Amino acid sequence: MNIIEIKNLTKVYDEKTIPVYALNGVNLSFREGEFTSIVGPSGSGKTTLLNLMGGLDAPTSGEIVIDQTDITRLKSRKLIDFRLRNIGFVFQSFNLIPVLTAKENVEFIMQLQGVNREQRDLRTLELLKSVGLGNKINARPGKLSGGQQQRVAVARALASKPKFILADEPTANLDSKSAENLLEIMEKLNREENITFIFSTHDSRVVAKARRVITLEDGKIVGDVLKNSPPKPPLPLGEGTGR
Amino acid sequence: MSDIRLAWRNIWRNRRRTLLTAASIFLAIFLALIVRSLQIGWFDNLTKIVVQSYTGHIQIHKKGYWDDRDINNSIVYDDSLTRLVGSTQNVDKTVPRLEYFALSSFGKLTKGVLLAGTDPTWEDALTHLSARVVSGRYLDPAGKGILVAEGLASFLGLHTGDTLVLLGQGFHGVSAAGKYPVSGILHFPSPQLNNQMVYMNLAAAQDFFSADQRITSLSVTLVNPDEINATLAGLKSKTDGNRYEVMRWDEMMIEVMQQLKVKTAAGMIIIAILYMIVGFGIFGTVIMMTNERMKEFGVIVSVGMQKRRLSVILVLEMLLIGLTGTLAGVAGAMPIMIWFNINPLHLWGNMAQAFISYGIEPLMPLALKPGFILSNVVSVLIIVCVTCIYPVRKIMKLKVAEALHK
Repeated sequence: MNIIEIKNLTKVYDEKTIPVYALNGVNLSFREGEFTSIVGPSGSGKTTLLNLMGGLDAPTSGEIVIDQTDITRLKSRKLIDFRLRNIGFVFQSFNLIPVLTAKENVEFIMQLQGVNREQRDLRTLELLKSVGLGNKINARPGKLSGGQQQRVAVARALASKPKFILADEPTANLDSKSAENLLEIMEKLNREENITFIFSTHDSRVVAKARRVITLEDGKIVGDVLKNSPPKPPLPLGEGTGR
Repeated sequence: MSDIRLAWRNIWRNRRRTLLTAASIFLAIFLALIVRSLQIGWFDNLTKIVVQSYTGHIQIHKKGYWDDRDINNSIVYDDSLTRLVGSTQNVDKTVPRLEYFALSSFGKLTKGVLLAGTDPTWEDALTHLSARVVSGRYLDPAGKGILVAEGLASFLGLHTGDTLVLLGQGFHGVSAAGKYPVSGILHFPSPQLNNQMVYMNLAAAQDFFSADQRITSLSVTLVNPDEINATLAGLKSKTDGNRYEVMRWDEMMIEVMQQLKVKTAAGMIIIAILYMIVGFGIFGTVIMMTNERMKEFGVIVSVGMQKRRLSVILVLEMLLIGLTGTLAGVAGAMPIMIWFNINPLHLWGNMAQAFISYGIEPLMPLALKPGFILSNVVSVLIIVCVTCIYPVRKIMKLKVAEALHK
C-alpha cells in the first residue's frame, strides 16, 4: 500500500529572475515499510525533495498525497499538525533541543501531541532503550557524542508513531562506527517494526543497506532500483520515475 | 516539560547575557522607584503640610472669595452650616476662620499683618498650631490674648506679655482698632508666614472686624483623603452654588501645584529616558536571542510545534528575564524606600532654603505606595512585551526549510 504519492512535483527557485529547477516534474510513490535511499550529487534536489515530502517547504507545482491528504494544499497550522502526527524527521546535524535531556527531547513530541504523562514516560523509555540509550535518559545533548545524539534524534522521530521517517543525510556528521551503529538501529526498526525510512544520502554504507535506491540528477529521477529486483531502466530526462 | 520551564531553561543558555539584561532592568527599576518614591513622597509631604498647616483638604467660602479675599466676602457661620458640613460623609474636622489684613503697631514701629481669627481647639486639631509656640502659651479659648509670629515679633521687638495695637478696616468699611496682649510667639518655617501672622480667638476677631458670626473660610479635613472627590461632590450638592464655593486644597494652591507638576514632569522624563535606554538593551538581547536560534526554531516547528506556541515561549523567556530584573530591582529599592520613609531625608543648603520658602519643612520622606511600584513593574513588562513583537513576527513568518539550512 502506498503511503506517499508524489505527482509531477516541481520546485523552482528564483522564479522571477533566473529560474533554477531544484525538482522538475518528479513522480514517485513509497510503500509502507520501505528502507529507501535518495542519492545524487550535490544540488541534485535530494534535500528539496525531502523538504517537500515533509511539508517543510511548498512546491511550485505538483501534489504530495500522504494518507489521502494532499499536503501541498494544507494551510500552515494544519500542515504543522499533520507533520506532528504523521512524519518523523532526522536531521544531518541532530538538531536536538539543547536545554532538554535525551528523555525530554523524545518526550517533547508526545507532549505536543497531548499524550498523557504516564504513556509518555513508558514510550520514551522504550524508545531510548530501543536505540541503546536507556542509560543516558537524563543526559543533555551537550553530554552526548554525535552518534548518541543522532540516536536520540531517531527516538524522537519515532516518538509520534509517524507513518514514515525522513532522514536528511543522517550519517554525514558521524564517524564510521557511529554511522554503522545508527544504520543497524534504523534497519532493525524497519525490519522488526515495519517503520518506513526515507534517506537522502551521499554515504555508500547507507546506500548499501537500503533496499530501494532512487537517484536524482538536476532535479529529475534518473534511477530507481529495488535491491531484490533487477534495476529499472531510467526514464528519459524530464519524465521522472514512478513505481 | 511545561512551556514556562522550557522558557526558563532557555534563558540560562547564555547566562552572562541573561544576567546583563536582567541587571540593566534591575538598575532601571531601582532608579525609577527611588526617583518616583522621592517625587511622590515629596508630593505627599507637601500635601500633608499644606493641608495640615493651612487649607485643610477642602474649604468653603462665599462664592468669589478666593479670587477677592476681602472681609466683605465673608459668610455667616451658624448652626445650619455646621450641621450641613458635619453630616457629610468622610468629614472629620472643621475649622472656622476669619482672616483679613490689619496694621500692627508696637512702640514706634508698625507693620502689616494677616490676622486670623480661629477656634483655638479645632485649629490646633487641624494644624497643630500649639506645637509652633516657641515662647509663652497657646491661645486660651476664653481669653483675649494673641499669638504673634516670630519674625513679626522680632521686627516689632515684641515679647510675651507685651500689648500689640491692631488697626484696620472691618466688615462693610467699619473702622477696626484694638489692643491685644501677646500670650505667645509662634515659629513658622515659611518666612512669609513667620513675618506676618497673628492669631486670635474667632470671637475676638469677629469683634475686632465688627463681623459678628461671620467667617471668611471653613476648612474641612477628611477621614480618608483619597475620597476627596466624593466628599467634595457631596458638599457641593448640599450647599447653594450661588452663595458658596467649595474648593479642593489643590485648587486653592495653584502655584504650588504648578511647581509640583513641573517637577513631576521632569522626573517622569528622566524615567522615560531611563526606560528607553533599557528598552533598547532588552531589544538587543531579543534580536540576538532570536537570530542565533532561527535554525532551532525551524527544527521545533518542523517536528510539530505550532508557531504561535513557540512565540509564546519566546515571550515567556523575555518576560522571565524582565521579571527577574524587575523583582530584583524592587527588592533592592524597597529597603531604601522603607528606611527613608520612616527616617525622612533632612535636606540642606539651597534645596532646604527652597523648601522653607514654600513653607515646607526641609524633609524628604520616600513614599511607599503599591500603586507606583506596580506601575513601574508593569511599565517594564510592557516594554518587554513590545520588544517581543520582533521575535514573534520572525517566528510567524518563519520559512522552515530556510531556517533549517541556516
